[in-house]
Amino acid sequence: MRSLHLKRTMSPRKLAAALTLWVLTLTVLHVSLNVRWDSVVNEWRPESERKLNVAYIPVT
Amino acid sequence: MTDYIARRSLDQYLFIPQLFQGFPEIKEALISNRVQAGFLVAPLAVALRSQGVPIKIVFLGHRYGSAAVVKKGGSVKTVADLKGKTVAIPSRFSDERLLLLRALEHHGVRAADVRIVEMPPPDVAAALASNAIDGFVMGEPFPSQAEMGGYGSVLFHAREYWPDYMSCVLVVREDVIQRRPQAVQVLVDGIARSGLWLDSGQSEREYAAEFVGRYYYNQSPSLLKWALTKPLDRVRFNPLLPRRDDFELVTRLMLENKLIDKPIAFEEYVDLRFAEGAASETAWDYPVGAGRLDPEKADD
Repeated sequence: MRSLHLKRTMSPRKLAAALTLWVLTLTVLHVSLNVRWDSVVNEWRPESERKLNVAYIPVT
Repeated sequence: MTDYIARRSLDQYLFIPQLFQGFPEIKEALISNRVQAGFLVAPLAVALRSQGVPIKIVFLGHRYGSAAVVKKGGSVKTVADLKGKTVAIPSRFSDERLLLLRALEHHGVRAADVRIVEMPPPDVAAALASNAIDGFVMGEPFPSQAEMGGYGSVLFHAREYWPDYMSCVLVVREDVIQRRPQAVQVLVDGIARSGLWLDSGQSEREYAAEFVGRYYYNQSPSLLKWALTKPLDRVRFNPLLPRRDDFELVTRLMLENKLIDKPIAFEEYVDLRFAEGAASETAWDYPVGAGRLDPEKADD
């Protein structure tokens, strides 16, 4: 009953703000944890200055 | 193992190491130019070249370092016992598969009598532990992982059936070789120096296990220490020059096992100039010591 009461009393504006904050948090975490920024920046360089991506797997 | 010091070979970083979990993904990344160089198992590199993919082998990653592992205390005690069993390999186009076939042939077991399955290397130890497979033939540190875990025991090391066995080779896209040969030479020089440094002794290997485990492989340093030191020549990093005899053996086995449909000349898939250019390189002057585990602070 208490949670139902809370839902009824949360204004649309507060709900939108909470959702936006949640999406922003996930976006920031994703961008910082999952994007290789050195590779992204590398793609913007002229080809002659571009660093070489070297692939390896975790074996000897 | 080889990328750490190579990427520090110039004042500015010239290379971006990209960790993959399997060779098929590296193959696709090379074809699509998402990576310009990479480590592949030798038969896969030769097969790609024979299919027209514009890459060349310029150096080796290491020698030995592959082993067949079976369930500890299980029913497989000899290679002949593999008949009717399931054995995992990293790829149909891997040296490990050719090694397994050589061992089976040596013991008079037909390849058709063994169920050979492909599996990403990081998955095999868990698959063995859960009895999903009866054994695997893989590069380190996965044999060591099964040994350390107490559920796997080495059936044979590569050297027992294949002297001077080689597994991973360094391949580079041909357009990079043509346009930026100096960068390729820096990469090969760095790997050569790393190999010489690693073969200097036990303390260098133990130190390498620490920083590679922490900063690159996301694996336990104790596991890598096991793989690099038990015994010390379990994996060797010299000589890394691609030798004609070694590759002719690989291509002959590939032809026999229908991995390529026609012979391919050594010069077609190997570019020796960078390995020859690195022939006079010496080991990194990088003393091992406490408090030197931050690669950003390490000296050249």
